[in-house]
Amino acid sequence: MNIDPIPGNVPPTIPPRTPISPAPGLQKLGENPEEREPIPNMVVAIEAVLRQPRRIMYQLRQPGSGKLIGSMLLATIICILVYGLVVGSFSMHDQLWAAPVKLALGLLLTSLICLPSLYIFTCLSGSQARLAEMVGLLSGLLMLMTLLLVGFAPVAWLFSQSTNSIVWMGVLHLLFWFIAVFFGLRFLEAGFSHTQARSAAGLNTWIIIFVLVAIQMTTALRPIIGTSKTFLPTEKRFFISHWGDNLEKAAKDSRSPD
Amino acid sequence: MTSLATNGISLGVLLRGDLDSLTTWLSHWNGRRLAFCLAVIFIGAGCYGAAMGMWRAPLQALYVAIKFPLIILLTSLANALLNAMLAPLLGLNIGLRQSFLAILISFTIASAILGAFSPLLAFLVWNAPPLSATAQASATYSFIQLLQVVIIAFAGITANVRLIQLLRRFSTGRAAASRVLFAWLAGNLFFGSQLTWILRPFIGSPGLAVEFLRKDALHGNFYETVFRSILYLLTRK
Amino acid sequence: MQALPVFLRADPSTVRQWIADWPSQFVWFCVVSILLGAGCYGLVIGSWRDELQAVYTGIKLPMVLLLTSVGNGLLNGMLAPLLGLNVTLRQSFLLVLISFAVTAVLLGSLSPVALFVIWNTPPLTGLTRLWSVEYGFLQLTLATFVAGAGIAANMRLLPLLRKFSRDARSARNVLLAWLATNLFLGSQVAWVLRPFIWDPAGPSQFIGRQYFKGSFFETVFNAAWRLIHSF
Repeated sequence: MNIDPIPGNVPPTIPPRTPISPAPGLQKLGENPEEREPIPNMVVAIEAVLRQPRRIMYQLRQPGSGKLIGSMLLATIICILVYGLVVGSFSMHDQLWAAPVKLALGLLLTSLICLPSLYIFTCLSGSQARLAEMVGLLSGLLMLMTLLLVGFAPVAWLFSQSTNSIVWMGVLHLLFWFIAVFFGLRFLEAGFSHTQARSAAGLNTWIIIFVLVAIQMTTALRPIIGTSKTFLPTEKRFFISHWGDNLEKAAKDSRSPD
Repeated sequence: MTSLATNGISLGVLLRGDLDSLTTWLSHWNGRRLAFCLAVIFIGAGCYGAAMGMWRAPLQALYVAIKFPLIILLTSLANALLNAMLAPLLGLNIGLRQSFLAILISFTIASAILGAFSPLLAFLVWNAPPLSATAQASATYSFIQLLQVVIIAFAGITANVRLIQLLRRFSTGRAAASRVLFAWLAGNLFFGSQLTWILRPFIGSPGLAVEFLRKDALHGNFYETVFRSILYLLTRK
Repeated sequence: MQALPVFLRADPSTVRQWIADWPSQFVWFCVVSILLGAGCYGLVIGSWRDELQAVYTGIKLPMVLLLTSVGNGLLNGMLAPLLGLNVTLRQSFLLVLISFAVTAVLLGSLSPVALFVIWNTPPLTGLTRLWSVEYGFLQLTLATFVAGAGIAANMRLLPLLRKFSRDARSARNVLLAWLATNLFLGSQVAWVLRPFIWDPAGPSQFIGRQYFKGSFFETVFNAAWRLIHSF
């Protein structure tokens, strides 16, 4: 027995795009007049991501958000190149150009690899955000993350100049990266919470994928801190085994007499 | 202390933690106030550094008088961008200039306190036997070291109490001010420790020459050394 | 392409309406999603072996999903009303197709990540064996993606089944029954259509003649028997 009799072959209408309403208790984006002010350039975008993140989230929903996304990506590239220069200053010589190039390339590749799954996972969660908005939120994540890395640059530089230990510098850069990515992901989650998603499980799963891919990318593009005869490694390894080998080597070196 | 009552600039304002005045300072900064803070840092921390170094030698006193203010200023400058970014991210909506100046004010307060204690330290050092290998093992040396730790800790705590009171003025809640202070402290301590390590010695060692910087200043770092020491203690290898 | 996010976001009431209207476009949409999504994923996992294996797996993986849906269509259509779900044969087929379409779209979106994993895995050489660490890791990672996609798709299916059933219990029972039948048939279809990643016995083939001998469950049973006897 069938509850719904089958009518004639009429294609279903795609439901009209429902206006995105925030979850109960969450203030709607754009209610504050400051949020409705457009973001004309990269400098304003940088200021906004730190002090008025909701303004960015609102502007990403407006027509012509491509310019904002472009500004954020440009800021990201500039910041990661600056940080890469500091990273490369540990080994100097070729790493002064190789490290910034690898970090910039790695970051963009990681984002491209993870973007399809971000969009699909968020759609599955019921998010009403368009692809452009998700690209914008991802760009915001990257910009905030790289801005913070630039903030850590003086500290990283100081330690780079005062140690010969690759392991120590690797741990330090990873620590800075984890702190930076924490704030970046917090921005992404805040933006996602305004997209009427039913659950955050998809986004949380994606976050794990993003972090793992990013970490593995650093191993795939090694060396970023140390030196090497080739630009890219000749041997493929996963990050856990690469880290394990480096730690073992460092432990052996510290035990052997000078 | 005689107040330099010029254009509202006063050490008393800083030390009393006059929040209305300090809020005005942060909101309407000018070159005079900046110069005042820098002067207090150089003089206060410089005097304390001189008192610290004079036990080893007059030249050491001069070196530390230069290095101590340098650590404070370099730490403030190097972490300025990071601290300015962390503040709004952690709920305190202030700009780069305001965050830098807030930290500078706290260091100014600490330097003023250290400067005030420098005659006391100088007097103690003058009364102590000269620094030598045997002196390093004596109770006097331990006492002077401990006293220095207490003075620096007192100056630091007082300065940070004033700072958090000021931050609470700018924040919507106490929790945000606390978070920002904690983050700034962590960043400044992290950077400052390593900078101090690089710029050693401060008290000096009788077995080593009086130098501005050690020859191996850029070899190794504070945290590696601490880690190796812990490892050695635990494994005795 | 606009339909894809709408399909993924749609709440159970909307999807139920689509099913009730029975548009052939919706069926084709699911089939195309399976072909493209699972096809991309298949291309990627076969690429570790060589280009030919990539093409073969790109064809075979969607075949597994589609053959399982079609092969179990009648059985699933009968089990549904028996377990309290008031749907026709066509509707039950479409419900299963929807869950496979969601799985395939998820796998398609994870294809870049899977490609990245393969790029980072030491390449296949003459020394690689079935018990090699890199092969084991690859199998595990790629299987985890498939399992994750499947779980997510089935979690999407359950609220949809509730829209058609008297109560939540019936919906759950039907889901479990369909899972059991699809896994049972799907395992054997996958067994017959192997290899997906690599066959050490020789060059890439679409399906070797030897794969029609034996079954997945016989092999598992024999392996378990050997393991027990080894103690």
